[in-house]
Amino acid sequence: MSAIEETKSDVAVRQPPAAATAERSSPSFLTQVLNLLSSVRFGVVLLVLLAVACMIGMLVVQQNVLPDFERYYAELTPAQKKVYGALGLFDIYHVWYFNALLLLLSLNIVLASIDRFPGAWTYISRKKLDASPKWLKGQEQSATFVVAGGGRAEAAEKIADAFRAERLKPTVTEKGGKTFVFGERGAWNRLGAYAVHVALLTIFFGGFMTAQFGRNGNMPLEPGASASQIREQVINVDQFTVRTHHLDFEVVCTDIQQVLMRKDGAITSDNTLDWRTGIKIKDPEYGEHEAVVSLNNPYDWRGYRFFQASFTPEGKARQVTLRATPAAGGEPQDVTIRRDGSATLADGTRIDLNDFQSNFSLGRTQPQDEDESVVYRNPAAVLAVTPPGGQPSKAFAFTPEMAERAPFAKQPVAGYTYRLVDFEKAPRAHILAVQKDPGATVVYVGFSLLALTLCAVFFFSHERVWAVVEEQKAGEFDDAAGRFDVTLGGNTNRNKLAFGDRFRRLVALASGQPLEVKES
Amino acid sequence: MSEVLKQPVIEAPALKLKSSLASYLPATLAVGGALLLTLWRVRAGGENFASDGGLMLCALAAYLIAAAFYLLNLYAPSSLFERIGLVSATLGVFFNLGSWCVRWIAYRDHDVAIWVREGKPVAEWPWFFRNIPFANLYDLSLAFAFGAGITTLLIAHRKNFRFLAAFSLPLAALILLLARFIGNDIMMLQPVLDSYWRPIHVGIAALSYGTALVCFAVAVVYLLKDGVKVESMAVWASIFALLVIATVSKGTVLGLGTVFWGFDVTAVGSYGSALFLPPRFPLPLRAEIPYVGWVLFASGLLLAGVITLFCLYLFRGDERARRLGHHVLKGALLAQGLAVLMLVSQVKGLENVAVCAQGERPASTACIDTRQYERFGAWIRQQQKQPAEQIAATDPAVLAREGAALARERQGEMFLSLNANPVELAALITAFAGTLFVIIFGFRTERLRESLPSREKIDSLMYKTAGVTFAGLALLLMTGAVWANESWGRYWGWDSKETGAFVAWLTYGAFLHVRVSRGWTGRLAAYFAIVAFLLVIFTYLGVSYLLPGLHSYA
Repeated sequence: MSAIEETKSDVAVRQPPAAATAERSSPSFLTQVLNLLSSVRFGVVLLVLLAVACMIGMLVVQQNVLPDFERYYAELTPAQKKVYGALGLFDIYHVWYFNALLLLLSLNIVLASIDRFPGAWTYISRKKLDASPKWLKGQEQSATFVVAGGGRAEAAEKIADAFRAERLKPTVTEKGGKTFVFGERGAWNRLGAYAVHVALLTIFFGGFMTAQFGRNGNMPLEPGASASQIREQVINVDQFTVRTHHLDFEVVCTDIQQVLMRKDGAITSDNTLDWRTGIKIKDPEYGEHEAVVSLNNPYDWRGYRFFQASFTPEGKARQVTLRATPAAGGEPQDVTIRRDGSATLADGTRIDLNDFQSNFSLGRTQPQDEDESVVYRNPAAVLAVTPPGGQPSKAFAFTPEMAERAPFAKQPVAGYTYRLVDFEKAPRAHILAVQKDPGATVVYVGFSLLALTLCAVFFFSHERVWAVVEEQKAGEFDDAAGRFDVTLGGNTNRNKLAFGDRFRRLVALASGQPLEVKES
Repeated sequence: MSEVLKQPVIEAPALKLKSSLASYLPATLAVGGALLLTLWRVRAGGENFASDGGLMLCALAAYLIAAAFYLLNLYAPSSLFERIGLVSATLGVFFNLGSWCVRWIAYRDHDVAIWVREGKPVAEWPWFFRNIPFANLYDLSLAFAFGAGITTLLIAHRKNFRFLAAFSLPLAALILLLARFIGNDIMMLQPVLDSYWRPIHVGIAALSYGTALVCFAVAVVYLLKDGVKVESMAVWASIFALLVIATVSKGTVLGLGTVFWGFDVTAVGSYGSALFLPPRFPLPLRAEIPYVGWVLFASGLLLAGVITLFCLYLFRGDERARRLGHHVLKGALLAQGLAVLMLVSQVKGLENVAVCAQGERPASTACIDTRQYERFGAWIRQQQKQPAEQIAATDPAVLAREGAALARERQGEMFLSLNANPVELAALITAFAGTLFVIIFGFRTERLRESLPSREKIDSLMYKTAGVTFAGLALLLMTGAVWANESWGRYWGWDSKETGAFVAWLTYGAFLHVRVSRGWTGRLAAYFAIVAFLLVIFTYLGVSYLLPGLHSYA
């Protein structure tokens, strides 16, 4: 009920002519549709339908949930596949009827708001300043008491002071020989629900922008490699296609690092603190820029965001420390070589780190198992050793324990034997997720608005209290002069319990004595 | 309905403030005490201090004691009962939060031990907030129960709402019981969770879930006060219990498994408990717990009888059916209690797990049900990363042979544990608790109704708690979206857990809108609040245990 409706309910309602009633009873089809679309009940039905659709989406594994979907799909019967597919249940969140539900809900929010906003606005623009004692006694909280001594204005002022003490802004008016004190707080709270709906529409709009103009893809990066396009996997039930998007700049990978919890553990995610990818952006317009992309710490460049997404689970080394021992005798030398880098020994012998194998095996014909690869059972560095003025030769550096078991490791290459003293574990490649999302900012604005408005709506309320001060009629008491009947009543749109407390305090303050308060 | 306040009080402002603050003393003491306990734990070290698991059990006991005394107070009002209830509730929240905080320190100690062993300098140790205990479902359960406990204590600052503890704290105790079944192993934090958004997001989740639980309790109280018949409640509670019994142990108890999982009919009446391989590797294989299946089967029959008899009463007014129904309901409670006791004692007592010969059941042995071999064989191939289509095309007999071979090979290592079936066990106990509460409601119902505050006041509290839950879930969704966008580059991906939270949020939204729609207020709103909480529970548990997704850790 709006403030105007409340005022109207105070006066007698005239009966409309019969013809006008008949005319009003048959609204046009368009009006009926608009009434339906703007009704709260229809909104509730839409919310329930949306919830049901979402539940179906949770129970039927969606096609983008890999690899679970593959297993789920394989176990379905042909009939289930056909029916679910026809109903779009494998991708329900993008199917036409789901979008239609969202659209209808948005429309319902807009129309219901248009319908109800004017009524809510009257709480602010046309405040109800007076009320009859009868009406007040029908409110959530009401009380009556008598104030003695002084005039009516003084009595009203005393009540207004009590209102102020309870942080209700008072307005005193006079009408028909009665004085009315109206006090309220938090009138803006009436508009909170509309602000919440504006926030929701903003989020919906941001989501629409993301769906229409957003770009998402992956970019695998190995040190030294570069890329200028992102690959997006498009899934259609059990069919996969790859769509590529060209970037206006080039991304060069300068380094990849996996910070481990336990150095001797595997490069699995449960032993990892962070993944870091060093990149260099080569932009024809804005020049070169270097950056590090780490977990939960993305990098932004020209509307694109780079995130850590995953890694290729193949054990490599970011850097190795080798010990080269001269075959002819002499002091061994330790050198540290970065991935794909090289080092030179004191006599000018150059050592290139060509490869690193985490689970070395002679004569391996098949690629090694992923699980084996990440645990570094038999690590080995594959080297190219070039003596001064000579030709490069292939050599292996094993850990001292492993070298004991491999006779060929004891044979010198280019005058040295090589041992793997230390190495820093790293995977073959990191896979960055690259995103361009013009809708994200809009969604964030919607989120901020929603957070603020929800707090404003649910943690505050619009409280209103009226007091009518009227002189006691002669005859009620022997000496009615200077005695005033006060009727107090009030309501709130939410948090009725706290309002009840406030009202009781208010009555006590205004009357100055314990009183009976009626609570309906 | 109107009521008259007989003794309104005029208070001096200072006195008023003092009294207002004093009403929050239990909540303040519980939180302050838990923080002091944490400091004590830091100083004393882990070896000389109670574990988080021990403190959690203290919280569970305190919640149950508080609920019992508040319930007694409803039937036989006594200031002593109320005081004991309030002190127990305060202690419960204190132990609950203390347990969570002590766990935080335990996580830190665990990480520090590794870094010290690795020789990492202190400057390189990750931040302290990395160890906030929100890493798995156990941690979340502790926080969830705390959310419910502290909300109850905060509401208890109004004396006439203290009774709520009788309804909300048993539910909080059930959450802690679930946590006990999940187990408090300390696991390594997944790297992607090492973000400052994690405590914000999961913390909001725990508190919102806690408020939702209290809102659910208020909705049940509202229905009770509104005159909903106890028999009607018994029907719903029995349907819930029946569903639980029908779905546990892959549906073998009542034969649902023959429809959905292809078990043969002979499996009906058996109950299998899931198995672990050392140290705690869960297997998709169950071993039969003797007699539990048949007792559950009997419970199911009794519950079906309760539903039938009470429906006869509700729809035809058959008074005899009502009286008989109450007796059957008590029988169902006994059978459910017996089944839970037998299950827990045997899971703890049976020493061996073995593949038994047909018709044999050696003493102290849980036999592996041979009908699961085909599914077990398919699971083995999944672990070997075989494509799903290839597995589906494999001859079932081959899969069964492979499953049987591995089961025989590893049977000596397999073991039973209460931690292997946390959701099933908690669901069975919840079903038991539901039946128990309906029986309690049926005892001097009118007296109970009279002890409750007015319907309007309960409704107002329901609206308030639902409003806070709605706002909390919205914040949960938003912080989750921002975290996802910062970590994975997308703020919304229809992951099952985020969708679950969204569905629960939509339902609370529907609740709030139902209240502004004339003619839909009252009971309908209460039903929405109940459904919304069930959806919260589905999001909290069902998604983690049943559905794939990014949130499978919690």
